[in-house]
Amino acid sequence: MKNNIRVERAIKNITQADLAEAIGVSRQTINTIESNRYVPSTVLALKIARVFGKPVEEIFTLDDED
Amino acid sequence: MKPLFLFPYWCRYLGYFLVFVHIPFVLYKQQLMGLHGDDADMGIFNGRHLFFMSTTLLMAIGLFIAAFSKEKIEDEQIVQLRLDSLQWAVYVNYLFLIISLVFSTDTEHILFLNLLVPLVFFIVRFRWKIFQNNRLIKE
Repeated sequence: MKNNIRVERAIKNITQADLAEAIGVSRQTINTIESNRYVPSTVLALKIARVFGKPVEEIFTLDDED
Repeated sequence: MKPLFLFPYWCRYLGYFLVFVHIPFVLYKQQLMGLHGDDADMGIFNGRHLFFMSTTLLMAIGLFIAAFSKEKIEDEQIVQLRLDSLQWAVYVNYLFLIISLVFSTDTEHILFLNLLVPLVFFIVRFRWKIFQNNRLIKE
């Protein structure tokens, strides 16, 4: 699964730490999601989407391998 | 997602403390009696058994609460890491167990190994993964 959290963060001008605090996870978790080393649960994906005010599909997209 | 019961964050340090506290006792005892002690005094709840029991319990409880205490920020990725590490620890433990069953008949030490390996391997692997994540964030 791919994601464009890094781009969305840049648009909204917030850091990993800000995003982490907004959804109640550690900065490490945001970092691992951004670098595609961890696939978040649906709950966490929805929370991230809510912070950016966009539907989940615009932030997370399926990969060819999925 | 509601995680299973975990000890509070500070329990990790209490756990490490208990493990380190038991080391000088065991070393002192070994100095005093040699590695296997005096086997003339057999039976349950004799001096040797009580000493072995108390130091082993100290170590096992220390490792247990160090392994199963919360992180500062407990989130789903940590839960995932914990489960992964636990699976690895069980694999490694059974590997050791099978090897020692085949190549050794020393059941007392096999039991001891079985007590130590899962928790120690779990702690090392879990801490290593967290360390890796922390290092990546600094880059």
